[in-house]
Amino acid sequence: MKIFVLFGRNGAQIKPGGEPESSPAEVDLDQLLNELRAGQQRLRAASVDDLIGLCDAAGQEWAQPRNEVARMVGSLNAGFLLLWLRRENLEAALTQALRGDRCVLDAFLRQAPGSKRWHRAQPRGLLVHWVAGNVPLLGMISVIQGLLTKNANLVKVSRQNAGILPYFLQALSNARFRRPDGEEVTGTLLTDAARAIYADQEDGEAATALSTAADVRIAWGGREAVEAIMNLPRRFGTEDIVFGPKTSFVVVGAEKLGDETSARHVASLVARDTLALGQRGCNSPHTVFVERGGKLAPVDFAQLLAQELGRAAPQTPQDLTPNEAFQILGCRAEYDMRGEAWYGKGVSWSVFYSDEDRGLATPCYGRTLFVRAVEDVFDVAKLCSVGTQTAGLSLDERRLALAEALTARGIERCPEVGRMALYDAPWDGMYPIDRMVRWVSA
Amino acid sequence: MGAIDELLHQPPYATQPGQYGGLLRAAVREAISYHCEHCPVFERWYVKQGLDPEAEIQDLGQVPFLPVSIFKRMDLKSVGEEDVVRVLKSSATSSQIPSRVVLDRVTRDRQMRCLGALLSALMGPARRPFIVLDAAPAPGSSLELSARVAGMRGYLMMATETHYALEARAGELHLDVGKLESILAALQEPVCLIGYTYVLHQHVLTPLARAGRRVRLPGGSMVMHFGGWKRLERRSVDRAKLNAEVAEVFEMAEPCVRDVYGFTEHLGIIYPDDGQGVRLAPAYAEVIVRDPVTLKPLPPGVPGLLEFITPLPTSYPGIALLLDDMGQIISRDEGKDGLYGARFEVLGRALGTDIRGCGDTLPEQIYHVQASQTGL
Repeated sequence: MKIFVLFGRNGAQIKPGGEPESSPAEVDLDQLLNELRAGQQRLRAASVDDLIGLCDAAGQEWAQPRNEVARMVGSLNAGFLLLWLRRENLEAALTQALRGDRCVLDAFLRQAPGSKRWHRAQPRGLLVHWVAGNVPLLGMISVIQGLLTKNANLVKVSRQNAGILPYFLQALSNARFRRPDGEEVTGTLLTDAARAIYADQEDGEAATALSTAADVRIAWGGREAVEAIMNLPRRFGTEDIVFGPKTSFVVVGAEKLGDETSARHVASLVARDTLALGQRGCNSPHTVFVERGGKLAPVDFAQLLAQELGRAAPQTPQDLTPNEAFQILGCRAEYDMRGEAWYGKGVSWSVFYSDEDRGLATPCYGRTLFVRAVEDVFDVAKLCSVGTQTAGLSLDERRLALAEALTARGIERCPEVGRMALYDAPWDGMYPIDRMVRWVSA
Repeated sequence: MGAIDELLHQPPYATQPGQYGGLLRAAVREAISYHCEHCPVFERWYVKQGLDPEAEIQDLGQVPFLPVSIFKRMDLKSVGEEDVVRVLKSSATSSQIPSRVVLDRVTRDRQMRCLGALLSALMGPARRPFIVLDAAPAPGSSLELSARVAGMRGYLMMATETHYALEARAGELHLDVGKLESILAALQEPVCLIGYTYVLHQHVLTPLARAGRRVRLPGGSMVMHFGGWKRLERRSVDRAKLNAEVAEVFEMAEPCVRDVYGFTEHLGIIYPDDGQGVRLAPAYAEVIVRDPVTLKPLPPGVPGLLEFITPLPTSYPGIALLLDDMGQIISRDEGKDGLYGARFEVLGRALGTDIRGCGDTLPEQIYHVQASQTGL
């Protein structure tokens, strides 16, 4: 077993673009866990509002122009993190997940006003996070939720982008927050309860050790990666939180295609959902189902969508692998030959339509949308499964009825179009923060 | 004689800078015009690129290109079914879907002519015995051939006789060392060992090295391999190591090991390396490296997606094809050993992201915050 400590008691031991094997190797996992438990004890003694204050201070600091972390955030197309760290957002998320009062993280509270029963949310203990290499900042979301719930957090990063998460943990450790009583708390209060490590994919001993140490296993990634983690041995009672691969789509009802102005508005919202997160989220749309029968035909809507996507796309940077670019070019050539294809210069964005196409498109990524005609929006329900996550709906009266039909078949979120990328709860069928605590009573 | 035929009658490599550039451009224009006339979907696509099929080509970098995967997605033909003499299927390594290209007599003849010229340039005009590092193929359909067998057969035009050094037993390849030794003993003249790169390493070099056996090749022999390095990379075997192992196991004092690059959709055009991974584009083709995001041609030394252009095929519109292989131009028309043209390296398959995380998460306020507020 060989574990490389990328963020440890001495801070980040790797540069953002560095090789994980160049960091100090630690074979004694117990030593690492003891450090984390000590850090967690200090975390448990702090108030949740202080912890939120630190996150908020970090988010504010990183948003300053010319701030080094802000530049890194920009290069990663991850502006969402700064906003997610804001006090209002974190307070709302905790309150929503914790039965209406985040202070259950600090002490026993009455279950209801006047109730003789008291309840409290205790941290589960050690959260082990496995983070996908192509979206390393996902780890920050779950680590911060783990820290706010006062857990110890061990993050196993991928070799790809191994240095990104340690960089942000280091930046978080530098945060300063002055409490209302004037006392200053520092970010190390949070980060002393977090460690980032790397172990080789083939190191089965390390993988097993991490899994059996966990009280909660949190896995982000593709199916193969997530299944491999879930198949590792674990202790009885260990909780699993899985954010596996899913695909999302949009449904546009005929009633929204009554005139070009309203259809264009819908198209602009779809474009916004597509561009957020570089279309890499499982909540990002790839297929747009458009109902026939409106004044505008599905192909006309596809053209409007292309115009709106083309208008918005150049404003955000594109993050694409050569292989993804190649796939997009294949689709473009195919639809140029047998359907309709609209696209920008380079591989900045693409919209495809063919009257013959049915079902969910295979995601192509890189701001690529497949518009498909349906006779009835309810026909989409049969395409839903556990592999689908978000359906952005653009409908009038039928919205809740369709949401009922889609969620019954596996869809987990049915926000309005334009709000697909918003982080809300429940997510993937659960309140993740709720899964990081043990509810106890007195 | 049209420009294409005139081009194909030229020697395979330029001996002066820019020697065949004009002729190649004219031939490509002729090919585009032909396919626009004979393949309606190709014409639809070409016109959508905003170009006139009859327009003169000033710069091959401006010719619209198709990703090679289009032959997995579409059945593209510029001839009638009655003119098809062979259907080629590529290996389906990355997508599990093989590409399919049809050959007519004209295309097949052009491919053979090009291949013959390029092999002669590589091996010299005299044919020689070939020892195939594979098992003898089982008799199969003459119409649908796998690209592997078809590719191998093309090379054998340079063979005075052909021997197969491996046997397939229970689906596994096994080297018959005794047979190889007796073939070499009987021949006593320079030979060409030919086979897939991974077969050469995994089924020939490794068992011989493990057994401590050496098989001396006659002086002047050549080892030619193709098929890519993906499987060898997993074993941490690079070109230098492979060449060293070949030299040692076959006791070659002056090792001549050539890694040949080519692909089904441009069968007939091969790009052998110089022993160190550098390849030269022949008169019949051009190579361009494109930025994967902007798609613009890249200067020498900058890696990108490889594109190859040739006017060879008449039966399918595979003129300018972008591959999912990465490469870089080393030099253009700088000249080396009296030969000119684009020298390039193949850097391997373009990698994607195999692991996709679930969605990044967003706060509700993100759409209401201006970029200036975040400093981004």
